[in-house]
Amino acid sequence: MTDTSHGVGGLTFDKTKRSWPNEMNIFFALLIIVIIFEILGQILPYMNGQSFLFDTRGRFDTIFNEARLQIIILQVAIIGIIALGVTQVIITAGIDLSSGPLVAATAMIAMSFAQTELVNGNPNPKAIFGLWAMDLPVIVPVVVGLLFGAMIGAINGTFVAYFRIPPFIATLGMFLICRGIALWWSAGRPVSFPTESYKFIGSGMMPVVWFLSLAVIFHIILRYTVYGKHTYAIGSNEEAARMSGINVRRHKVMVYMIASMLAAFAGVVLSAKASTAQAGMGEFYELFAIAMAVIGGISLTGGRGSIIGTVLGAMVLGVIRSGFTFVKLDGSYQLMAMGGIIIAAVILDQYRQRNRA
Amino acid sequence: MKKTLIFAGLASLLATTAMAQEIGATISRFDDNWLTVMRNGMTEHADSLDGVSLQMEDATDDLAKQIDQVKNFVASGVDAIIVNIVDTSAGAAITEAAGGTPLVFVNREPDNVNDLPPTQAFVASNEIESGTLSAFQICNNLRADGKAGGARGYLMNGQLSNQAAVQRSKDVHDVIGMDMCNFMTIIDEQTANWSRDEAQDLMTNWMSSGEPFDFVLANNDEMAIGAIQAMKAAGMDMASVQVGGVDASQDALLTMQSGDYDVTVFQDAFGQGAGSVDTALALVKGMAVDQKVYIPFVLVTPANMGDFLSKN
Repeated sequence: MTDTSHGVGGLTFDKTKRSWPNEMNIFFALLIIVIIFEILGQILPYMNGQSFLFDTRGRFDTIFNEARLQIIILQVAIIGIIALGVTQVIITAGIDLSSGPLVAATAMIAMSFAQTELVNGNPNPKAIFGLWAMDLPVIVPVVVGLLFGAMIGAINGTFVAYFRIPPFIATLGMFLICRGIALWWSAGRPVSFPTESYKFIGSGMMPVVWFLSLAVIFHIILRYTVYGKHTYAIGSNEEAARMSGINVRRHKVMVYMIASMLAAFAGVVLSAKASTAQAGMGEFYELFAIAMAVIGGISLTGGRGSIIGTVLGAMVLGVIRSGFTFVKLDGSYQLMAMGGIIIAAVILDQYRQRNRA
Repeated sequence: MKKTLIFAGLASLLATTAMAQEIGATISRFDDNWLTVMRNGMTEHADSLDGVSLQMEDATDDLAKQIDQVKNFVASGVDAIIVNIVDTSAGAAITEAAGGTPLVFVNREPDNVNDLPPTQAFVASNEIESGTLSAFQICNNLRADGKAGGARGYLMNGQLSNQAAVQRSKDVHDVIGMDMCNFMTIIDEQTANWSRDEAQDLMTNWMSSGEPFDFVLANNDEMAIGAIQAMKAAGMDMASVQVGGVDASQDALLTMQSGDYDVTVFQDAFGQGAGSVDTALALVKGMAVDQKVYIPFVLVTPANMGDFLSKN
């Protein structure tokens, strides 16, 4: 499945052979899934002909059920932020399993610098530090969180690039270390009651704003900058990239750092959204982030994938989650369906790659 | 209870003169909020007693690991073991692994609770009370709001593999099955895995259908708070909906204080933790102990929440 891109330095060569961009396929798949739920809403007897995406009760100004459109993307926005970083790591033929626990550890640490002194006039019962750490400007917890992420990413990248530990193993180790840090930080106690300005980071549709802005930024970076070209080049053929003068090791460390900083930022947004940080947060986030990239058409052997694909992959998972709640089917069915869709996405993609070659 | 306290007093007196008592404890999850309060209750109580040292292990929801931890405790010769069992249907395996070492089950009731050997005991609250107290109070509140003609709502389940979640949801259905409360109907029930952020998303998904509803019942406080946050974000008037949960965590009580949360149930985490240490020490001394020590649940509403603000 990778023969087309191997040894040719990335996407540009592929483009000429494409009938339409790979992302269009995912978009069509998304439409088909939406139509399936729309039909189920009409034919399932207990649904009383409700519509999945359209406003049938006259609640909104447009013809759409805006509330559902919002939640579809809101519920995948935070994992989506992680997926933007994981996409870059996978393009270099790596993997990052540490992002879920990193979300939890960062949430705990950042939230400790975002607490208020008083809650309804009572002293904050979940205070981690003394009064000096109360009601700090919102920039403090955000910077602390991002620095922590950068540190974890630098360690991941160093082990992968300089110590030649397989990325799966290095980040698996970091997965356990970060979960341990999250549990150790406050001995398992939740860290709650942040300042209003911290809450704002995750309030309303803010997670979506972050997700989409970061997606645009990293789309541009990957497509049009040297950083992006090197990232694809390393994933396509690491040896060739080295020969052509790219500092492969340093570049890899940078990619892992960016990925971990995005995951750390996701931890900040998640804790702001929930107004609490808990050691068990972010469970399976790393796997769902990888799933988004995979549904978005990324190749785990590196060199191929895009931010647009990953955003569409996130949308597919969001539509499925809302769709199953819409038809009142339980979480267990959602997991089975998501698993099926991930496998189907890869099979279809492989088939398409083979036909093209 | 009183008996346990007396034993505890005796035990601590003796402990000061006797050799140090070593207790090994295995907890099903370290990252569970409520169990963490219980765990802290155990640690603080043990620290306050002279000559008692407590070693805590995380079973990470893995029964096989927990059984190994018990065996390791026995092998290293601890004086007593405290087990917060991962899987309540595996009581016999834990009992056997402990052999002659005194053992206390805490918080979760093992299936062999009626056949425990004299060296073992059980300290907890009776789970059937919790879901029932919460749902029944919501039923009363809805009647008081004049909704006895029909009320619709949602039910949020904890982890589907967890006994307490299954029991609490069953309690809700049992309450709704009573003549007095059968005006309540559940529109949909789904799991939010005990978690606040998952509950936010689930509630927002439910609300996106635009279906009117009168109540939300959750298996724990965290999910209830998530639901409240989602409803407030959507601009709902919290006076028009009844929200019930279980735990009486501090986050929940402060939410109740702001007038958004209606009913929760206090389970004495600290008391269960401390009680398990006392019972373990009494068993070490070879004293006769109540083999089932029940610490009752208490209904918490805005009327009495002040009593609980400094607990859990």
